[in-house]
Amino acid sequence: MKKLAKTKKIVVYDHKSPLLLESGKELSRVELAYETYGKLNQTCSNAVLIFHALSGDAHAAFYHSDKDRKPGWWDFMIGPGKPFDSNKYFIICANILGGCKGSTGPSSVNPKTGKPYGTSFPPITITDMIKPSRKLIQHLGIEKLLCIAGGSMGGMQALQWAVSYPNTIKGALFIATSPTHTAQAIAFNSVGRYAIVSDPNWQKGYYYDSPLKPLIGLKTARMIGHITYMGQLSMENKFGRKMFENVNSHIDFSKEFEVESYLQYQGDSFIKRFDPNSYLYITKAIDAFNLYNGSKTLAEALEPVQAKSLVISFTSDWLYPKEESLKIVKALKINSLDTTYCNIESPFGHDSFLIDLPKFKEAVTGFLKALET
Amino acid sequence: MNCSIFTKWIDQKSRVLVLGCGSGKIQQELINTKQANCFGLDISEKKVLASISKGLSVIQGDINKDLNDYPPSFFDFVLADDILQLTIEPKKVINHILTIGKKAMVSFPNFAYFKIRLSILFEGRMPRTKILPYSWYESPNIHLFTVKDFRDFCQAENIKILDHIYATGRNKKAVNFAPNLTAEFAYFLITR
Repeated sequence: MKKLAKTKKIVVYDHKSPLLLESGKELSRVELAYETYGKLNQTCSNAVLIFHALSGDAHAAFYHSDKDRKPGWWDFMIGPGKPFDSNKYFIICANILGGCKGSTGPSSVNPKTGKPYGTSFPPITITDMIKPSRKLIQHLGIEKLLCIAGGSMGGMQALQWAVSYPNTIKGALFIATSPTHTAQAIAFNSVGRYAIVSDPNWQKGYYYDSPLKPLIGLKTARMIGHITYMGQLSMENKFGRKMFENVNSHIDFSKEFEVESYLQYQGDSFIKRFDPNSYLYITKAIDAFNLYNGSKTLAEALEPVQAKSLVISFTSDWLYPKEESLKIVKALKINSLDTTYCNIESPFGHDSFLIDLPKFKEAVTGFLKALET
Repeated sequence: MNCSIFTKWIDQKSRVLVLGCGSGKIQQELINTKQANCFGLDISEKKVLASISKGLSVIQGDINKDLNDYPPSFFDFVLADDILQLTIEPKKVINHILTIGKKAMVSFPNFAYFKIRLSILFEGRMPRTKILPYSWYESPNIHLFTVKDFRDFCQAENIKILDHIYATGRNKKAVNFAPNLTAEFAYFLITR
């Protein structure tokens, strides 16, 4: 029997109490799609909030129906007997503000015009993203979370949460993340965005009523992104120079090598589930993220943090290298906080946190166990 | 390793850094007996993973590189128990330790211990003892030294030796007579 979960929806901001964004602009209606696993205990002390990464959504674990082939994106981490044990913890995951999987984003209808926002959607930041999640937690009746956790952009949300709402968490898990995006990471995102905005079908972001959508741009962006998520070694082991099919006399400029066909496949499946404008807004929010926020040192910026934390990096992750994690660790240490850091051996690059690795699971299980006491 | 032999040097509620903390035995003892605010550093992923579920605060890192992360005198005490001989640049490590820590404990196997001397004298081979069990070609101990060497070093580097313990045997029995000859293991309490 497959474990089933349902995506729920909640309006967290409306015209009576709009969401004030960092840019000074307002959103008069914000809806969040979210899922929960397990049960909230009587003392409301077993709640864990998960933040997803760029391409994730609220569907973190279990299946939506018995017919589904694939479970949620972090199913190996969440469920009975898994690190985020749904027999012990009440686990929550919401689609981010700006997303396209049920939460308010550029593809949502602007209540003022009755049409999708497109690029009239205001710019959003990581700080903006966590505000609706905070509302959701309050709505669920939770004052203090046992733990927050996130990888990559999810880790940025966790970091910002630990600074913005220090009293609301006991523990925090920062996985494969960074206090700011490196120039290299911004560069890759920038090429991805350029692919979308230079697609003639993008139409300055107002393509929702058009039969032509900037899917070639989005596909290209995803293909570039996907390269940055993989480890050099795992890519070499998986594909090497293997050919996709027998090469005939005509040159095939896109699908000769297996790695090419793999990227094509990844790109094609991504465009079926993701909105190009969401990709633009979210990658912008990631690139703009700056945990320093005007402070001279990271330790100063992290001054409000109280939570016990576990910072994890992966040895082959070159997009969010361990040096970035160590900056966080160093700052937390200087602030005399209870922090643990582990650099987990893995060949799978940045994507390692989305791969079922025993050592990764051991670390998370141990951290949560220690948090309970 | 039984650590109570040197814990008398550590004040209650000190902020302590344990170098090469392994799976956290010393930290647990210091937390229990001294209510210490303990941090650990270890290079091994496996050891760090084992510490996490014990609720200990451990950083996976390299003593040779990662000690300059902390501000001066950040720790009340730095523990370098039986690890100095493993480091690439012991002089640099000691200087780092005494920068980030107000006091430090450095312990090491004394290479001038009489059994080691006899072993070289009569066998003509690199000694292998319970404390130094490795063949020369696979030993992690790359900088072996003696009690006298360490005292000379402290003098040359203007490091103050506040106290010492010389010990021998499995039970770490204290010895005081001719320590460079009779001590198998030495502990020094040092400061700048």
